[in-house]
Amino acid sequence: MAEYQTIYLTLSAILFTIGCGGVITRKNAIVVFLCIEIMLGAVNLAFITFSQANQSPEGIFMVMCVMAVAAAEAAVGLAIFVLLYRKTGFINIDKFNLLKW
Amino acid sequence: MEQALILICGIIAIVTAVMVILSRNTVHSAMWMVGNCFIIAVLFLLLHFQFIAILQVIVYAGAIMMFIIYAIMLLNLRRSDDSADPLKNLFNGRYLLVGLLFIGIVILGVGFGPMALKGSMTDQAMMKLGEVELLANYIFADGLLPFELVSVLLTAAIVGAVYLAKKN
Repeated sequence: MAEYQTIYLTLSAILFTIGCGGVITRKNAIVVFLCIEIMLGAVNLAFITFSQANQSPEGIFMVMCVMAVAAAEAAVGLAIFVLLYRKTGFINIDKFNLLKW
Repeated sequence: MEQALILICGIIAIVTAVMVILSRNTVHSAMWMVGNCFIIAVLFLLLHFQFIAILQVIVYAGAIMMFIIYAIMLLNLRRSDDSADPLKNLFNGRYLLVGLLFIGIVILGVGFGPMALKGSMTDQAMMKLGEVELLANYIFADGLLPFELVSVLLTAAIVGAVYLAKKN
């Protein structure tokens, strides 16, 4: 199992980079949100790989925490998107500058 | 055999992740993301963690993606409102930064090599007790405080989401 660790970690890094690139290039808020989910999945994969290599349950516990945080983030984030869409009629994140001063 | 399976799953995972970014239609992006979640679950199965694989399918592909697809249908976003083509944006100066990040992550992650640390999850214990019991032993002994904090976080998120989405 340990001999495949490099493949898993490289795959995790590639997926994280793809998600990061999506966050940078896309304008649609929901697609940006999906890219964040890709990044979280890549981090989960790395955690599970290290948990397997170390034979310890800490990594699995951390993955469960990440899943719970992702669910909470989805609930709050999508509520915010619905609110913004109701107010403005679009969710292009480049056009929102409410928090700019 | 196993290595070929891992490589095939990895290639499918990368393709689905790229298609999430390149799809013009937001619903198609969400569908590719569901595929990505399933492939990550298959990779967890290849690492012999069945419980986490099932959890990944239920929580990610079930709950979170249902949330997102509901939001897309609620907002009536058939076409994403990107002004430019995503492919044209791909060769931007900002991508140099992402490439550097990738190289950094690979060096950080792969450079460590195999670990020598051994915890309680040995193969014998996995065979005897099973993964779920080992995990429960950890959660309700050492990980009790973070576990309770996560439950508080979920409750707070539900209350916040309901408050935000409520019409005044």
